[in-house]
Amino acid sequence: MELSTFLMIFAVAACIYMACNIGANDVANAMGTSVGSGSLTFKQAIYVAAVAEFAGAYFVGGHVSDTIRKGMLDPEIFSDAPLHLVYGMIAALVSAALWLNIASYLGWPVSTTHSIVGAVVGFGVIAGGMDAINWSKVWGVVMSWVVSPLMGGLVAFLLFRFLTNQVFRRRNPLLHAKRILPFMVFLVCVILANAMFYKGLKNMHLDFSYPEAMTYAIIFGMVGFLISKPLTKKIPDVPKKEIHKQLEATENIFKYLQIITAFYIAFAHGSNDVANAVGPLAAVVSILNSGTVAMKVAMPPWILALGGGFIVLGLLVWGRRVMETIGSKITEITPSRGFCATFAGASVVLICSKMGLPVSTTHTLVGSVIGVGLARGLPTLNLGIVKEIVMSWLATVPFTAILSAILFKLMLWTLG
Amino acid sequence: MRTILSMFSKSPFKPLVSHIDKVNECVNLINPLFEAYQSNNYEKVEEIAKNISELEHKADQIKSDIRQHLPQSIFLPVDKRDFMRLLSAQDDIADAVEDLAVLMRIKNIDVPEELSELLVDLVHYIVALANDACNMIRELEDLLEASFGGAEAEKVEKMASHLGTGEYEADKKQFLIAQKLFSLNDLSAPDLFLLNELIKKLGAVADQSEKIGKTLHMFLSR
Repeated sequence: MELSTFLMIFAVAACIYMACNIGANDVANAMGTSVGSGSLTFKQAIYVAAVAEFAGAYFVGGHVSDTIRKGMLDPEIFSDAPLHLVYGMIAALVSAALWLNIASYLGWPVSTTHSIVGAVVGFGVIAGGMDAINWSKVWGVVMSWVVSPLMGGLVAFLLFRFLTNQVFRRRNPLLHAKRILPFMVFLVCVILANAMFYKGLKNMHLDFSYPEAMTYAIIFGMVGFLISKPLTKKIPDVPKKEIHKQLEATENIFKYLQIITAFYIAFAHGSNDVANAVGPLAAVVSILNSGTVAMKVAMPPWILALGGGFIVLGLLVWGRRVMETIGSKITEITPSRGFCATFAGASVVLICSKMGLPVSTTHTLVGSVIGVGLARGLPTLNLGIVKEIVMSWLATVPFTAILSAILFKLMLWTLG
Repeated sequence: MRTILSMFSKSPFKPLVSHIDKVNECVNLINPLFEAYQSNNYEKVEEIAKNISELEHKADQIKSDIRQHLPQSIFLPVDKRDFMRLLSAQDDIADAVEDLAVLMRIKNIDVPEELSELLVDLVHYIVALANDACNMIRELEDLLEASFGGAEAEKVEKMASHLGTGEYEADKKQFLIAQKLFSLNDLSAPDLFLLNELIKKLGAVADQSEKIGKTLHMFLSR
């Protein structure tokens, strides 16, 4: 077998391994609040996640890939030996996936994004020394890891405060929830559609300018608004005096919104995290096909489809078990709180993806849950997990960096 | 695997309601306790006292359980000190009820005819007041859901001010009964002392009920 064929198969296998791990690892965090609040059964959540993850990966996944593929690494240093970049990318994929596998086994909340960033930096330093790394880009990525949970927290805090004032603190919360629902549907539809239409549908040869994309997004949002408006009218009223029943009925309304945001977060996750698996593969494919290190490589749609497909497989096969346990546990989260956290987290992740910043979906969501808690939305909040996240920040990057450096050396040594 | 859901640890407000349920059971034994005492049925007093002490013990267990599960890293939507204050006010009601039973078991005395009516009135009044305080704790879940605002907050506010005036009324009744008690000349010193202690303990139940209202009111104004 020719070396390039072997490398190609190896790279595809490594990408599949990584994609499966992403699906297995993150789906529980993305969909957990929807299942925990009882808005979705774990089976429904799996189906929603499967469809939305694939759509997000396929339609919007291209943006972040650029940063991982060539933003952090100077491709110039590989121009003499393009195959070395192939080895490096394979080493990065394998070590990031391996770390994810270990972390899931141990139950640590690590980030798939941080893993691959650490791994790319790791082999990059071995290949071209410290100068080979575009440190300012790496710092930008690292900064986004701090900023994204903070942003998630801020958005969730403000959104919950808004709902508190507009719905829960009203004399007739149900009535106000019914009024607000179509506007929320509009907002979700616009952000989602905007992410899809703007630079998103390149794969389908539909490249809209920003105003065009926004116009279509608003039309899409209006459709959502007009569909949901008459539906809210069908929800029966509850007398104002019966406060308990009022509040119950209000939460029921948020169940519908939470189902939409469940789709939203899975879409955002797919668009953000597929890059972690397909970014390196795209580089490998481009080098093996052309024999040179190109400055700009297009992301072949089949690679995005492969990444999206195996994320779905990962969540169907391994994520399923975690989801099932979540579904069987009683959790303290209600649909309205879950909606705020998920909506905020998904919006921040999606916006960061569009800006080409690979952020951690899980960590952003943790930030937004804390935001809801600080806005007095949760009966209790365990902040112990924050410490674990900081620990995982400190552990993930060094581990994947060193492992990928070792694997890279090993491949140089055996394959030349 | 640990997921984001590990952030939502068990709500301490639910055990707070289980605690008040036990306290409420204690409170509901005050009426039968006084009935038995005033009809000189001391066997019955013993029996109810045993019941009360068991309930108080169960409440105590729930209390220490709540305290243990409230580590530093847990964030509550209310001030943690206020939360603890609420818990101890609840627990003090159960303690006061237990003390009532203990006082009755010290010595068998005949409650003077002149006091009887006033005492029954005071006991009924305080039991109703303490029941209102217990029901207030049961509003906590809705209060959380309403994010400490809106119609639910108004309801809680009303309940709190009702407890405040209730305690004031109880004080007045307590004063009248004390006046009566000390105007009786044929009472022995130990009997007088014991009866006075009983009335004071009933006052303590009213005080702690008011404190529950006040603390819950603090939750609103944060």
